Amino acid sequence: MKRLGWLPVILIVVSVLVSPVIPAGLAQQFPSRPIEFVVPFAAGGGSDLLARAIARMLQEEKLLPVPIVVVNKPGGSGAVGYTYLASKRGDPHHIATVSSSFWTTPLVGQSPVSYRDFTALYGLAFDTFLLVTRTESTFRRMSDVVAVAKQRPGLVSVSGSAIASDDAVVTYMLEREAGIKLNYISFGGSGPALVAALGGHVILTWSNPGEVLPQLEARKARALAVASAKRLAGLPDVPTFKELGYNVDFAQFRGVVMPPNVQADAVRILADAVGRLCRSRRWQNDYVEKNMITGVCMRPDEFGRAVAAQHELYRKVFAGLGVIK
Amino acid sequence: METLQHLLGGFQIALLPVNLLFAFAGVVIGQLIGVLPGIGPPAGVAILLPATFKLNPTSAMIMFAGIYYGAMYGGTITSVLINIPGEAASVMTTLDGHQMARQGRAGPALGIAAFGSFIAGTIATVILMFFAPWLAGVALSFGPPEYAALMVLAFALVIGLTAASPARGLASLAAGLFLAVVGVDVMTGLPRFTFGQLPLLDGMDFVPVAMGIFGIGEVLVSLEDESAGDAGAARLRLADLFPNRQDWALSRVPILRGSLLGFLIGALPGAGATTASMVSYAAERRFSRHPERFGHGAIEGVAGPESANNAAAVGALVPLLTLGIPGSATTAVMLGGLLIFGLRPGPLLYQQHPDYEGGLIASMYIGNAMLVVLNTVFIPVFVAAVRVQKAVLAALIVTFSIVGVYSLENSMFSVWLMLLFGGIGFFMKKLQYPPAPLVLALVLGQTLEMAVRQSLKMSHGDLGIFISRPLSAALLTVALAMVVLPALPALRRRVAGGRKVPEIPAPQR
Repeated sequence: MKRLGWLPVILIVVSVLVSPVIPAGLAQQFPSRPIEFVVPFAAGGGSDLLARAIARMLQEEKLLPVPIVVVNKPGGSGAVGYTYLASKRGDPHHIATVSSSFWTTPLVGQSPVSYRDFTALYGLAFDTFLLVTRTESTFRRMSDVVAVAKQRPGLVSVSGSAIASDDAVVTYMLEREAGIKLNYISFGGSGPALVAALGGHVILTWSNPGEVLPQLEARKARALAVASAKRLAGLPDVPTFKELGYNVDFAQFRGVVMPPNVQADAVRILADAVGRLCRSRRWQNDYVEKNMITGVCMRPDEFGRAVAAQHELYRKVFAGLGVIK
Repeated sequence: METLQHLLGGFQIALLPVNLLFAFAGVVIGQLIGVLPGIGPPAGVAILLPATFKLNPTSAMIMFAGIYYGAMYGGTITSVLINIPGEAASVMTTLDGHQMARQGRAGPALGIAAFGSFIAGTIATVILMFFAPWLAGVALSFGPPEYAALMVLAFALVIGLTAASPARGLASLAAGLFLAVVGVDVMTGLPRFTFGQLPLLDGMDFVPVAMGIFGIGEVLVSLEDESAGDAGAARLRLADLFPNRQDWALSRVPILRGSLLGFLIGALPGAGATTASMVSYAAERRFSRHPERFGHGAIEGVAGPESANNAAAVGALVPLLTLGIPGSATTAVMLGGLLIFGLRPGPLLYQQHPDYEGGLIASMYIGNAMLVVLNTVFIPVFVAAVRVQKAVLAALIVTFSIVGVYSLENSMFSVWLMLLFGGIGFFMKKLQYPPAPLVLALVLGQTLEMAVRQSLKMSHGDLGIFISRPLSAALLTVALAMVVLPALPALRRRVAGGRKVPEIPAPQR
């Protein structure tokens, strides 16, 4: 925050002084003041890390002339933060991170705003899921799981964070594809879910690659399959579900959205800046590779279609799960 | 031997002037965070996270660890002086600590808490160094049934302990358990008792409830009662500011017990410092030859839980450092910090970055030493704070509480919630319902509910899972004993009395 120097200050002062003089039609010297980056979750989580990485790199690479201030507005599984962003209608100086709760919380009826209330800005990353068991487990490969689960439906337990979460979605997909029934148990977070599997209290768990990598390296856990289209570069020995004959392709989707009704020019300016960041070497090294995610660079129109498609995907699965009608 | 070498190397790192500076900054900030109502250690670490990006990871982690146990010390100060627990782990300290303050013994209460925390922190750090990998295995053997049994044990311990009347304790606990179900049910995804309020979806927050019941409630009572809250103004001699020989004699064993209990419970992911302080307080009262002194300013009731919560703060690093999995909200934020630096804590962290772990452990010794000095030096200042005129102090407490609670989520909702619970706290006090069981049940009720329901899902609905697993069976047996044993003398008397007078009056059915 201190390393900005005087330039932004001068810019702000000048723009404030000049703005009354400029006719309304020309007053789109966007961005004219610091941009507030809303994180609808607590500090330290995945969304927070993403927002802080973006804010830091945009500033250090001087891709935007104004500071970006990360603000955590946790509560209501994202509902509090997203409701706040939606209230900034027409003001492009506010952006927010997108993660699964952006779709799931409104779908289960716990948020007054949904994906339709926002302007898509940029899609950045897919974080897929590994099906993991502990090393001592007798389930050595996916076929072991399916064989037992077919014989005794509901016997094989799998831990996840919550019922309306990505873990539940990918469990449901696997159950449908393999024609099996698993015993899904919520643990309130991905950390506790992983501990339950490492301790052998449940047989399987779902983990993001970055989360479980240290356990795999230390041979405390074994990955049975990955829910991505291709094998992961960092884990070349783990087969995809598709190779094994189950069409399970799913990932948590991360990106950035803006308030509703913002001007197209402002969207373009921000998208250009984030796009340049997304294609930089530094982003690849410091964010994508470090977190073992699949990086993408989706422009606003493409991201907008992806947001709608993701909503449709969650809606179908939740309807199947009986979480929504 | 290898461990000692790492530790020596660690001290070389931790004693670098820059790291000493960060340890000092950490403990001072942590202490402030503990004192200020509202901001807890997780928020403190989260806020400072961006400020550390330019540091090396070891310095940053040293500072975060300092914040963490600095806050454990700081939370004590408000508990003792103004009866507001700075965080959940200090709730037990209000019971006897504040009573001591009202008897003019705030100094010894703070002193024993500081020294106890120091000793506990040191013992816990030694255990962490030598037994962390083994303990990680123990922590993993704790599954949902064991957590459920542990929570039942903690509640069984706390009911009888806080009130003259166990029935009132039970009522308070039940109210707390009810408050704990508010919010989205993780197992079904449905909101419960939220009445359409968005902030309630995440559940009833501990801080506004505790600050309302303890802080605002206390202020209301003291306004009504002319004598209350003025006792701290009794004449003070320097000798009265620190624990005397008798205090030490009483506190020695509780500190040791608290250290061990605290570390073990703290090492379980999700159980944490709050459970540790509850179990320690209960144990001290159970082992005491004069249990009737508890609740009226027994120094053991401060020494035990305060040692336990500090040891638990160290214990919580076991799952983080050995498994790479955070054991508490604060260590979760620390984990996020490590990731930013490109360090991935996990089973291999120790092999990959021995300097980092050695430096962290060594800095814990140093941080603890700093805290004990800091706290003893400032005891006279803290004690003087209670001598501020009651009217002024009450206004200050209310102001700080409102600002603190507002800053939690920048919402007025939390403020209204706190004021509501202030009113509830006032009536609880008037009707002699102990507030501690309510607040503790609110904090731990969610863990209990989750653990019970997870267990039942694991067993496909069979209740036998709680007694067929040895560890949970043992914990439940202890819990049962804790409820039955104190009732035995009374039962025996009734039976013996029954023999003498065979004609028992017909029971009123």
